[in-house]
Amino acid sequence: MRTLLWLAAGVILGLIVHLVVILSLPAFATETVWSRVAAAGPEDTVVVLPAIAPGAPNPLQLDPALSYAVCRVNLAHGPGVVSGTLPDTFWSLAIFNRAGSVVYSTTNRDGIGQNLNLGIFNADQTHLLAEQQIEIADGLLIVESPDDDVFVVVRLAAPHDVERPRAVAALAGIVCGNIK
Amino acid sequence: MRFLVHLVLMIAVALVVGFGLSYYSLTDGRLLGALRVGPWAAWPAIGSASPDPYTRAYLARTGALQLGLSEGLAFIASSDGDGQPLDRSCRYRIEGTTPVASFWTLEAVAADGGNIARPDGPQELQSRHVARANDGSLLLYVSRTLAPDNWLEITGQGAFRLILTLYDPTNLSGSAAAVQTLPAIVKEACAA
Repeated sequence: MRTLLWLAAGVILGLIVHLVVILSLPAFATETVWSRVAAAGPEDTVVVLPAIAPGAPNPLQLDPALSYAVCRVNLAHGPGVVSGTLPDTFWSLAIFNRAGSVVYSTTNRDGIGQNLNLGIFNADQTHLLAEQQIEIADGLLIVESPDDDVFVVVRLAAPHDVERPRAVAALAGIVCGNIK
Repeated sequence: MRFLVHLVLMIAVALVVGFGLSYYSLTDGRLLGALRVGPWAAWPAIGSASPDPYTRAYLARTGALQLGLSEGLAFIASSDGDGQPLDRSCRYRIEGTTPVASFWTLEAVAADGGNIARPDGPQELQSRHVARANDGSLLLYVSRTLAPDNWLEITGQGAFRLILTLYDPTNLSGSAAAVQTLPAIVKEACAA
């Protein structure tokens, strides 16, 4: 009977250990999606991620059917802007924060078409924008981000492998940086 | 002495339960937080701006570039419809229909996440390149041995996982968590 009581205490302690592990894991992770993207290239520069070779490790778990472009922007230097023209095939866009969560995502099926023209504003900049204190281009898709450190991922699905070089060229042609 | 034995026993149970449960719940999310459709499992909150603690821990553990909420959702299967682990020496038939999406891809990966398709062949099956039956349903084969219709040729030995990624699932009201049906995974013959 006594032993059962000790075992029950062990199970309860185990559940506490479990909760601590789950809640503290993000703080202890060293190989995060942010560190991997930061290693891919400098800030304000579009980096097309290399294609996934069969059998090769795929730490970011990229889909081999897609081509990826990433760009890191720091909103502390001004609102972020990402613009380019992409082929008329499926593409999508996601804004990640430093913690690796997706702050905003959309696809070209949401009425954007082929022109990517995105402005990323933090809370203060959104406020200035509302007061018309920041000049922006017409047709800019405005997204508010709660964090200053963000990176943008553009995924493009070339319909056939032969069109992949064109897709990569289109991704490499994306311009990303800050509105001064 | 008896107290010491009990104390050691309690700590052992606590460690096994604590770390075992954490490992199991984060391996493919079958325990908590996950969306399960037959053998397929997904983390429905993985693309949201503030995921739940389990999803956040899973993301921290994998360090993967997940899909945003409106981009799509990836489903992972590590066993067939009967609950048997997927084995590369067997041939699997994948049949049924997929939810409406702009397109989808089906990839076979090893435990470390590396693609296991034949190096000089297609690395995945995708909706735009597969032949369908007249009613729009799918018939896909994943195997090392020659298969008819849509065949994803894989290589190597041991267990593997299938990843079905639905891009832009348009029929879903804002979230991919409304997926009801996914194709079945049926084991056919296995090599000796």
